[in-house]
Amino acid sequence: MPELDRRDFLKLVGVGAGTAATACSDPVEKLVPYVVQPENVTPGLSTWYASTCMECSAACGLHVQSREGRPIKLEGNPEHPINRGKLCARGQASLGRTYHPDRYAGPLMRSAAGALESASWDDARAELVGRLKAAGGQAWIMGAPVGPSLDGVLTQFASAAGLAGRIVYEPFAHEALREGTRAVFGVASLPIFDVGEADLLIDLGSDFLDTGRSPVENSQQFADARDVKQNEHGGTRLISVGPRLDLTTTSADRWIPAKAGSEGLVALALAKAVFDVRGVPAGIDAADVQGFLAASDAATAASRAGIERSDLDALVDALVHAKHPLVMPPGVASTTTSATSTAATVMLLNALIGAVGRSVVIPPEGDAPAAANFAEIKGLVDAMQAGKVKLLVIHDTNPVYSLPAELGFADALAKVDFVVSFASLKDETSEAAHLVLPDHSAMESWGDAAPRPGVRSLVQPTVRPLLDSQALGDTLLAVIRDLGTETPQSSFRDVVQNNWSDVAWRDALGRGGVFSDFAFETPSLVLDPAKLSFSTPKLAGDGEYTLIAFPHSFLADGSAATLPWLQEIPHPVTKLAWNSWVEVSFATAEKLGVGFGDVVKVTTPSGSLETSIFPRGAIRDDVIAIPIGQGHSVGFYASEGGPGESGGPRGANVISVLPATTDERGGRVWLGTKADVAKTGGFRRLALSQWTDNQRGRGLAQTVSVADLVGETHDDHGDSHHMIDFEASFDADPDQPYRWGMTIDNDRCNGCSACVAACYIENNIPVVGEEQAIMRREMSWIRIERYVGEGDLTGGADRRPIPKGEKLGETDIRHIPMPCQHCGAAPCEAVCPTLATYHNVEGMNGMIYNRCAGTRYCANNCVYKVRRFNYWDYGHDNFPGLLGLMLSPDVTVRGQGVMEKCSYCVQRIEEARQPAKDEGREIRDGEVVTACQQSCPTNAITFGNLRDKESQVVKRGKEEKRAYHLLQELNTRPALTYLAQVSRDEQEGSH
Amino acid sequence: MPPPPPATAVAESLRPLTPARDSQANIDIMAPTKGFPWQYWLALGVAVLGVINLFGMIAYQTYVGLGVAGYQTPVFWGLYIITFVFWIGIGHAGTLISAILFLFRAKWRNAVNRCAEALTVFAVITAALFPLLHLGRIWKLYFLMPYPNQRGLWVNFKSPLLWDVFAISTYMSISIVFFYIGLIPDIAIARDRATGVKKILYTILALGWQGTGPQWKAHSRSILHLSGLATPLVLSVHSVVSWDFAMSLVPGWHATIFAPYFVAGAVFGGFAMVLNVLIPVRRIFGLERYLTAYHFENMSRFILLTSTICGYAYMAEYFIAWYSQVEPESTSFWLRAFGPYWFSTWCMITFNVIFPQLLWIKRLRTNLPFLFILGVFINIGMWFERYVIIITSLSREYITGAWGLYIPSPVELAILAGSFCWFSMWFLIFLKVFPVIAITEVKELVIHEKEHGGAH
Repeated sequence: MPELDRRDFLKLVGVGAGTAATACSDPVEKLVPYVVQPENVTPGLSTWYASTCMECSAACGLHVQSREGRPIKLEGNPEHPINRGKLCARGQASLGRTYHPDRYAGPLMRSAAGALESASWDDARAELVGRLKAAGGQAWIMGAPVGPSLDGVLTQFASAAGLAGRIVYEPFAHEALREGTRAVFGVASLPIFDVGEADLLIDLGSDFLDTGRSPVENSQQFADARDVKQNEHGGTRLISVGPRLDLTTTSADRWIPAKAGSEGLVALALAKAVFDVRGVPAGIDAADVQGFLAASDAATAASRAGIERSDLDALVDALVHAKHPLVMPPGVASTTTSATSTAATVMLLNALIGAVGRSVVIPPEGDAPAAANFAEIKGLVDAMQAGKVKLLVIHDTNPVYSLPAELGFADALAKVDFVVSFASLKDETSEAAHLVLPDHSAMESWGDAAPRPGVRSLVQPTVRPLLDSQALGDTLLAVIRDLGTETPQSSFRDVVQNNWSDVAWRDALGRGGVFSDFAFETPSLVLDPAKLSFSTPKLAGDGEYTLIAFPHSFLADGSAATLPWLQEIPHPVTKLAWNSWVEVSFATAEKLGVGFGDVVKVTTPSGSLETSIFPRGAIRDDVIAIPIGQGHSVGFYASEGGPGESGGPRGANVISVLPATTDERGGRVWLGTKADVAKTGGFRRLALSQWTDNQRGRGLAQTVSVADLVGETHDDHGDSHHMIDFEASFDADPDQPYRWGMTIDNDRCNGCSACVAACYIENNIPVVGEEQAIMRREMSWIRIERYVGEGDLTGGADRRPIPKGEKLGETDIRHIPMPCQHCGAAPCEAVCPTLATYHNVEGMNGMIYNRCAGTRYCANNCVYKVRRFNYWDYGHDNFPGLLGLMLSPDVTVRGQGVMEKCSYCVQRIEEARQPAKDEGREIRDGEVVTACQQSCPTNAITFGNLRDKESQVVKRGKEEKRAYHLLQELNTRPALTYLAQVSRDEQEGSH
Repeated sequence: MPPPPPATAVAESLRPLTPARDSQANIDIMAPTKGFPWQYWLALGVAVLGVINLFGMIAYQTYVGLGVAGYQTPVFWGLYIITFVFWIGIGHAGTLISAILFLFRAKWRNAVNRCAEALTVFAVITAALFPLLHLGRIWKLYFLMPYPNQRGLWVNFKSPLLWDVFAISTYMSISIVFFYIGLIPDIAIARDRATGVKKILYTILALGWQGTGPQWKAHSRSILHLSGLATPLVLSVHSVVSWDFAMSLVPGWHATIFAPYFVAGAVFGGFAMVLNVLIPVRRIFGLERYLTAYHFENMSRFILLTSTICGYAYMAEYFIAWYSQVEPESTSFWLRAFGPYWFSTWCMITFNVIFPQLLWIKRLRTNLPFLFILGVFINIGMWFERYVIIITSLSREYITGAWGLYIPSPVELAILAGSFCWFSMWFLIFLKVFPVIAITEVKELVIHEKEHGGAH
């Protein structure tokens, strides 16, 4: 597109929205047509490119929707074996990195005065080359794990520049699991868990559905394994062991609230018990195992884990009775000083119960260097402190933020003569650099990923670089040449293509990679008790509480805190947004004399921080928990400052109070300290999007027991359960072939909120910010509500509301996604004086933004509370910088003072209608996929035509024992049918 | 219909003496329009400043958006609708006094009707601000009108808000016409005594009134017909306003009792406001001769009656909420009384039902300081009644996960205060410009008394 520059495009995108939204205030802007029509771009039609999500190490496949040369939406690649067409909230939001207001517009060099000033690429590179030559072998490179092609270039660079070392740094590197696997199987690789293969899952704090290593994949497997249509008795059972209710535990059938860090003890006791009952499978030396397990004693383990002996026995019982059990090893939040032996124990246990080779596969060690141990990073920091590092190159990582303050990385960095950053987005580390050579965003780059054997995934650019950035690979290649070394390929694209020369390049590009089955060999046990014995986790300090630093569902290690959607979408477990908080139990809060939002000071031997209290029922009294990911001091959304401003940090960074200790094998420890909590007297309101989890027996989120489903017992649900009459839903023009509707299976929904992120991006929904989110003015068209049990008639009278239904061991947690129900007899429609909201011929509740005068009567009368009001001119103000380019041209950007709500992705219906019309047929079932449905990792959402009796939406909605309409007694005749959650007894897992 | 005054009697009582001496009524009642006490200007100054602030706030809110108000999901209606209902209610006493009591020949109304009618007009003008303020896009106000257009856009006649548009515009026009027609003979009196610019103003406004027989005949017929037109409005306007709530599905709103409940409440609040206005006016302008204990006694009885109706309505609402066994409904009501907004509910019950019961005591019915304080309390109570209905209901609806809380923002509070200034400004101007008691109607009473003797 040579003739269309960024500004013109902005105008083009803005014009439709702008004129519609603010007819009276804005000058008329001119549409700029293409002067020269670019090839392969049909205005108004999307182009789709296959690529790979670079947001986390799972490496899900992407389909990038591109309109007029701009990627506007990411979807999962259905062919990709990891995510099978689905994408999580982080993946959805990662598109924003391309258009982010924090992006560096070009290279920056630190001037003599100490400020970063813009420079040309030639000067900047010359500076780097000069510095590299002058560093005299005392230069290091530190960066995140990268794909094979970039890794090759980095290796070339390291040798050409004569680097002293290369540190592959990742905050959540799972070193303990890698080392634990090495200890048991002699292979230093991260096992792959197929939770769908198991009939009993014991989750030892792994949080595999949310913050695990491959949540989209595991969520999908988990939901399929529990599908009640396929598995009459409810399929796989899940038992969670852990000190607080995390998202995975909300799906559990039983929750044993063990002490923080006791996962190893529990695993050891389980292993011993299984060993005692079953002995060892063939090929394992019983003596070695016995030696390792000798230290364990069930009674001691139970008491040290703070659980009942009967709970432990129940676990053992479930484990020995299950046909295919699987134990999930602890995740980041429970990485203790004995994390490696814990992981080893879990892997041994998996071997003993026969899971290894079936639902756990241990891939061979990869070619790319594994993430460094924490001990190695400590070594680098020591070298920096000692002045032995003259030059440090940092790419794709933010160690100033993500390393414990106690380690003193920031101080050490100041002692490095010259720091080079390849950051694309401004962060704490790049702001401390002397030279910034901004990398392309993932949408502008070539690249590849090899997340596991058999899966090779390609990254291809889908937009011309928006700013004066350069791909890291290209910069490095140029530097290598400048240093006087020849490179086999002149551009990084050629490097990638060369690496993929063994496959059909165009075909791989089209598919997004090469996916083949890989026969995994199950390695044999090499356990040597002499090398690894089980030790008790140690906690620093003598504070009253154990401090849990847990990964935030969306912000992960803090790298995603810069993405506005991830800040705004409520955290799926607590429903909090935009800030950090410290979770304490009600008893602890009472003891401290604090309530929701009161600021407390958390002190550990490594430091202290202040943040607001969030009291909850589902956390042990002896722990406090703070999410990782907030507390950035740099960034438009990540901190409280805007672009170019240094605002205060947003929330508190829990990493700053964590100790820099390591486990037995030098792995990073996240659960390693005690903490004291003290009241400060301050108060800072938290943006809590759901104030109560008590549904007061209103049957909003309903459940059906397995016994009822299979008809063993007949339990009359009273009036809380409503069977539905489908014909009543056909509230559309009788002559029309369509009545659009939806079915949501609450049993599959695990609350991950991918749908919410997809909806935000698909529908140009503005992000309103913390202050507005505190006032509950978020604009999301779909939200996930979370209730505990049936509820009772207590509560509701508080001014400082907090969900109170949770309690330790309670697993009746019900997630219910809440989009517009598109009622047949919609309360909103009748009351709109201007007919701005109306019933269309296909049965949907349309919303004519232009006609809305903003009386908000519809929102008052909407019994589902799904309507959102534009209190401010969000359409103009909330897409700063390039973010306006990310707006979908198919969806109106709403102006000030109008109401909006879920449209069932009407633009997608229209997109499907045109080809159907051209071919003289009706829209087929499955041709229209709403954004939420497309994204949902568990396939909980089905959309389609209710008039088509053969459609999936009708078929799924016909599950008589589970289908219900929300608030059916009000006779709003919703087009949305919910399928009640299934309550499973954990004992039935062996059916 | 009152008989036209006997010509001879009128002539006798009104014939100017030599040297020309005005009638005592003219002198007394017209007195406030002359002279410039500094307190008046101070009061007017404060009111005008408040009005300037009000329009500043409106401009600010219109420019940046409704976000400056305190709306928090799920409470999409707030202070503006509360205050709108409050002012519309205030107006009702005026219409009741001028129309219904006229038709019922309740003669005591003659002394208070001018004030009450003015109050109606200004209350409706004040109320009319709020639906506009409340709109997300005030500049799209015309969308609410059914006007012919090329695009074939039409309004939704099913929406109670549209009924509101008609009800309020009808009410506003009838009130203004009623008020003005009643004023004409008095304007003529003022005209005959004014000089300079005022003379020109009054001359125009008096529409050539000469007090001739045919003019009197036309005048009294107009008043009669307008009374007939206005009478149903007393019942219908607030009924329609109540349907804004009652026609919805919101627990706490969806109740059949709403129309009579709102009408009674409106008359109740309106009379309280009449008390609050008349008592100071009477005192300051020395109108004790015209506004006697008798008038206040009658108004007190009305207040007692309507207070009791309100009390009944409150009880009926709670009873039905309990009796229906509909959980969202009963929860909504329970939380009204014992939830986060308990304060407003108990204010409402105390001020609207309990305090007015003191009026059973005859002595208190004519105790003006007591009545004044009671009036203030009732106004606060009635404002809180709307607060309770709107805010508590919206904050606790069906989907418990969407429950929230609303706290008015400073801008809303400034606009609320501004609305009182706006009302006061008009009322103060009215005091200055027009006779505060209908001179001709008072004279009519006097003449009637002279002719027939007996009490009022």
